Amino acid sequence: MSDNRLDVDTLVVGGGIAGMQASLDLADQGYQVALVERDPSIGGKMIGLSKVFPTLDCCSCITTPKMAAVAHHDNIPLLTYSEVESVASNKNGFVAQVLRKPRYVQEEDCTGCRSCELVCPIDLPDDENEFGRTSHRVIYVPFTTAVPQTALIDLDHCIYCGKCIKACPPDAIDFTQQPEHLEIEAKTIVLATGYEVTPYDAKKEYGAGKLGNVIDALMMERLLAPTGPYGRVLRPSDGKQPDSIAYVQCAGSRDLTLGVSYCSRVCCMYAIKQAMLLSGALPMADITIYYMDIRTFGKGYEQFYQNAKTMGIEFVKGKVARITEDENQNPVVRVELIDENSRVAERTHDLVVLSVGMLPGWNPQATFGVPVAEAGFIQIPDCNVSPTVTTQPGIYATGTAAGPMDIVDTIMTAGAAAAEAAAYMQNHKEQEPAVPEAAPAMRDKRSTVHA
Amino acid sequence: MPDTTGEPVPAEKGQVQPQSASPDEEPRIGVYVCHCGDNIGDVVDCEQTAEALGKLGNVVVSRSYIFMCSDPGQKLITDDIKEKGVNRVVVGACSMFLHEQTFRQAVSRAGLNPYLYYHIGLREQDSWVHHECPEEATEKAIRLMSAGVAKARLMRPLEPVRLEAAKHALVIGGGVAGLRAALDMARRGLKVTLVEKTHFLGGRTAQWEHVFPTDEDARTLLRGLIEKVLAEPNITIHTGAEVVAAKGYVGDFQIRIRQQPRGVSDDFEAVEQAIAACPVEVPDEFDYGLTTRKAIYRPYEECTPAGVVIDWEHCTRCEKCLEFSNNGGIRLDDAPHEFEINVGAMVVATGFRPYEPPQGELGYGEFPEVITLPQLERILASDGPTGGRLEWNGHPIRNLAMIHCVGSRQIEGVHKPQPDGNVNDYCSRVCCTATLSAANQIREYFPDVNIFDVYEDIRTYGRGHEDYYLQASENRITFLRYVAEETPEGVKAQKGDQQPRLGRVKDHLTWGEEIELPVDLVVLAVGVMPSPVDDLVVVFKISPGHDRFLLEVHPKLRPVETAVTGIVLAGAAQGPMNIQESCAAAGAAASKVEGLLSQGRVELEPYVAQVDPERCQGTGECVRVCPQEDAIHLETFSVSGREVQRAVVTPANCNGCGVCVSACPNRAIDVQGWRLDDYEAMVDALTAEIPALEGVV
Amino acid sequence: MKTNAQTRAPKILILATLSGGYRGADAAGQSQLEYAPDTYILPVMSAAMFPESFYWRAFERGVDGIIVMYSGTDSPYKGAPEKTAEIINRTYERMKERGLDTQRLRLAAICTVCVRPFLKEIRQMNEVLDEIGLVPSSLPPAREAQAEPG
Ligand SMILES: Cc1cc2nc3c(=O)[nH]c(=O)nc-3n(C[C@H](O)[C@H](O)[C@H](O)COP(=O)(O)OP(=O)(O)OC[C@H]3O[C@@H](n4cnc5c(N)ncnc54)[C@H](O)[C@@H]3O)c2cc1C
Ligand SMILES: Cc1cc2nc3c(=O)[nH]c(=O)nc-3n(C[C@H](O)[C@H](O)[C@H](O)COP(=O)(O)OP(=O)(O)OC[C@H]3O[C@@H](n4cnc5c(N)ncnc54)[C@H](O)[C@@H]3O)c2cc1C
Ligand code: SF4
Repeated sequence: MSDNRLDVDTLVVGGGIAGMQASLDLADQGYQVALVERDPSIGGKMIGLSKVFPTLDCCSCITTPKMAAVAHHDNIPLLTYSEVESVASNKNGFVAQVLRKPRYVQEEDCTGCRSCELVCPIDLPDDENEFGRTSHRVIYVPFTTAVPQTALIDLDHCIYCGKCIKACPPDAIDFTQQPEHLEIEAKTIVLATGYEVTPYDAKKEYGAGKLGNVIDALMMERLLAPTGPYGRVLRPSDGKQPDSIAYVQCAGSRDLTLGVSYCSRVCCMYAIKQAMLLSGALPMADITIYYMDIRTFGKGYEQFYQNAKTMGIEFVKGKVARITEDENQNPVVRVELIDENSRVAERTHDLVVLSVGMLPGWNPQATFGVPVAEAGFIQIPDCNVSPTVTTQPGIYATGTAAGPMDIVDTIMTAGAAAAEAAAYMQNHKEQEPAVPEAAPAMRDKRSTVHA
Repeated sequence: MPDTTGEPVPAEKGQVQPQSASPDEEPRIGVYVCHCGDNIGDVVDCEQTAEALGKLGNVVVSRSYIFMCSDPGQKLITDDIKEKGVNRVVVGACSMFLHEQTFRQAVSRAGLNPYLYYHIGLREQDSWVHHECPEEATEKAIRLMSAGVAKARLMRPLEPVRLEAAKHALVIGGGVAGLRAALDMARRGLKVTLVEKTHFLGGRTAQWEHVFPTDEDARTLLRGLIEKVLAEPNITIHTGAEVVAAKGYVGDFQIRIRQQPRGVSDDFEAVEQAIAACPVEVPDEFDYGLTTRKAIYRPYEECTPAGVVIDWEHCTRCEKCLEFSNNGGIRLDDAPHEFEINVGAMVVATGFRPYEPPQGELGYGEFPEVITLPQLERILASDGPTGGRLEWNGHPIRNLAMIHCVGSRQIEGVHKPQPDGNVNDYCSRVCCTATLSAANQIREYFPDVNIFDVYEDIRTYGRGHEDYYLQASENRITFLRYVAEETPEGVKAQKGDQQPRLGRVKDHLTWGEEIELPVDLVVLAVGVMPSPVDDLVVVFKISPGHDRFLLEVHPKLRPVETAVTGIVLAGAAQGPMNIQESCAAAGAAASKVEGLLSQGRVELEPYVAQVDPERCQGTGECVRVCPQEDAIHLETFSVSGREVQRAVVTPANCNGCGVCVSACPNRAIDVQGWRLDDYEAMVDALTAEIPALEGVV
Repeated sequence: MKTNAQTRAPKILILATLSGGYRGADAAGQSQLEYAPDTYILPVMSAAMFPESFYWRAFERGVDGIIVMYSGTDSPYKGAPEKTAEIINRTYERMKERGLDTQRLRLAAICTVCVRPFLKEIRQMNEVLDEIGLVPSSLPPAREAQAEPG
């Protein structure tokens, strides 16, 4: 990585499960892969989840081994806290300019010992809206299972007391660090930039984020995670244990008032999953899911749904029109109960969870010249047969960057993108005159059909 | 006499053999205690620990250092290996999950076998959990490290299980998934053999005309894909072929294939006359029985490979067609042809079949007006039985009902089990969007037709799928909702009725009213079931899941792999999937195979069972308890003229679970790298009165 | 059964699977949660490799309590967790026959982030050992000892 240049076969952008899996699939075939992740750690949204449907495996148990495999793979230079600023193409493929943001901590020296965290006097409160993170110091290792285990400093809140400098055993802290620029040359690119969720205050009918006991599903993931902030499920306004919890499905999906016509694909399943976990954590609580259609279409998903029904979770078909709150800050859900002659009812719960949808994350048009389609997800022209091939030769898209999908489907497309990139590079190689396999006789041959 | 040591034989000779300790070489152990800044050092007295360890037998150097993982730290180890002849390394530092690889690589750089290194987690499992008692923490560090030394004394160099791998993959099934996987692997440089059971490529997709979510013509889609496959010199295709036997393991499977003859040569001209002459008439499976075909037939217009074939099952050998067979254009005495190929891995892409409702389910088989969605797809297809006109039994259709989830989402106790006792308790994933896509087409081309869509949940989940639902609502398709316990009752016609009725739909979208719909066609959106694969399950020892689709090892960690290394899944054989999902899965399967075979060699962890032939008495206990297929078996050897049985491990199939170790009455088997002796020595060290501890604690 | 005098803290041996309990122990470390120092954790691929004699031998060597932290249904090894449970059950029988309190041996499913269950197991074992005392210094001989290596 000296002289700020890196020559690789594939540049993977985004280190969520999609980017990690695509990197591993290519690196296992012997390709050199540069994985560029915007955040200080890889892992994406998945590392912040509690347990994952439909197997209810602990999410960290699935994600951390992949993160470690990426970090230790000889063929994967990992560039976290970095962003691709621009990309040009040349005869070999692409040249990307990558910005490495300063951590103010030398990555090579930091051992992740966290001595700095112990002495840092400033504690930044838990940002409820931030996913997967609990409160932390101004200098911090992003989270326990972060990869790399390297600290960084949030300069905006730093008071420059210098305590961390003294405490750091390997002298890794460097306030003079500047952004670095790195040039990466790659033959192919895989975009795995992921998704965002519907902002929790998007819908004014649902309280526009102002109701104390209406949270979104990501917050619930954190409450349920073993690494979560309280280790218990308590409602935000008064720390009371909720006895009645309701899920509002399609809160941000299939909703033309928000300009989102599509289904987000994962919310039915994650709501059922959370409901099951909740009934384990709070055996006495009543849990209701208000839905339009239950879409448990994946392998093992319908059985998961049926199990939830037998566990006593209440499924109510109805579109929630509005959420307000009563004098005790209990959310009141106004819902048309379709199975009861479409009667409109108001039902009071202790806690309401919005099953927020998936929105496109980052738009690659400006940097990569890869256009997005209708809803803002990357355009895939031949989506049936080549579900990861973008309009740009040599650039592939995987995971939720190409539309909502769950982890299983994400991993499938990651493998597919890796296969496409590998095939492209193989063909590219064969066209180089130096390689003997390029014998014209071979190329003229067709496959043999024995009918 | 075969090699009984069970020792994996390196496939590649001439490899740089690391200078490694032989089992009887005197262990010279280097011990390294990391302070991890203050993380370990603040609690554990690292110097004292190193000093105490230095007194143990076989320890030639014992050091402590501020950061062992840093470059200077690693150099301490590599220098000691080179200069002091250290041949076993024990490091006490942070968690083994963080830096085990780092130190393995360092040890290996210095020319020592990387498995002659052992890692002790002194941070996560000592200093960080015993802040309050530094003295005990130091004693614990010494004990843990001395256990490491005890293990180090017994460590042996290990080599990964290296297997030569044929750069050749087999694909079973020529639907979109199989074609796509074959193409991906061939383009990556692997040789591919594809076997397809029927006489044409394309699978089920060939039977649809109009496919969601792109509204493209399936035949155009397939032609594009098949042309790319045909253009690949690396691919060999056998149609009318099936796998009949298999043996071997990843890297080296021997596959026996049986191919049915076509019976008709490519250049045979009098096709139409021969077909006309054939007296046999059987339901045409391509049209789902809506039409019939002869025993000499063309699977469908445009099929690849083109031409006619003989259906051996139904051909009566009446020889009527032979009349037109000049010069042996038709050969009724051709025999199936069997041959063997050698492949490194395979992709199972055997796809699905639609659920066939039993006689009477919702009137199916009782009323001709009740058909299935695949049959409707054929009626709508321009090459189908009606040439694409929406008519049935000669009458144009006016009112049509479509019922979702027939043969899917079945609930035990509510739905009648199938003859084999199974219920399909899963969602078939493709039928909702396929139904609405067909409904919209009908509204577009036959705007006078009224459509009732009877559903439980509409699952238009995918990118672009919801648009079909929105469009259907705009197209004034009438939706009626039922709940599982009140499935619509089926069709009955009463005397004098012009049309059958779809009886008793309790519509939950209005007021739970029971209505009867007068309709002239009822379409059952039947679910998806796996193609019959019982034979492959036996031949390959792969397993179907509870839903009878083929089972992956883990849906997230290893989503396309089966429990047999080297056999992966693609497409609807694994579970209901649409074309896009089948192609993505095929890509993932191809990637996995490429990762396995592209180096021409497969490397597996050396942690596999190993038999000590001296102790083995051939009791076969291990073979009995082993949960893996073909991982261990008994072989007959002759020992001083006497025939004896001895266990032999196939390292490629062993995953090192150790079930055999505890079962062996003679203690003749161990998992390499994690031997029972190692553990006993470690327990001894943990419990011993360590002389080195004197004066320390 | 009489136990020898409480001259030392009870010694606990933990066999923890690399895919489960061993990572759980690391997670407890990362959260810097204290537990009794006389607890020694050995990583194992799968606990199914240990025969009854292994446990018996460890008790003879002075281990007071053993916790087997396996991966339960999350195990990557088909059939291994069932086997482990079977062996532990047989060991219990043997312990009963020979008058050794079966509470000294525990089987627990611990996952990679099961910090609380991990600590609870250790705490409970310590409580048990405080109550029943250290392992007797001489145990009745094994009835049909496994062939010793030789
Ligand atoms: C509440 C909730 C619960 C869920 N539960 C489950 C579940 O139980 N089971 C399941 O299967 N699925 C679940 N999902 C879905 C799951 O989160 C996604 O399928 C999966 O995380 C998608 O992974 P990804 O890699 O595509 O995207 P992401 O996880 O979003 O990863 C994208 C990565 O790219 C990085 N990135 C973005 N832009 C750039 C850029 N310009 N440069 C560099 N890096 C960039 C991001 O920082 C991020 O690390 C859930 C989703 C939600 C919202
Ligand atoms: C009514 C209906 C409509 C649909 N419409 C659409 C649509 O509009 N859009 C869409 O995306 N998807 C649609 N689908 C789904 C689509 O058909 C599947 O996604 C696709 O066919 C799956 O491809 P596959 O290759 O996995 O399986 P298949 O298409 O089933 O192909 C499997 C192949 O394997 C062969 N085979 C089976 N067993 C063996 C064996 N033992 N040895 C050798 N060969 C064997 C079979 O003969 C077959 O050729 C529809 C499905 C249905 C039921
Ligand atoms: S896709 Fe729709 S019709 Fe098919 S089984 Fe699932 S819910 Fe029923």
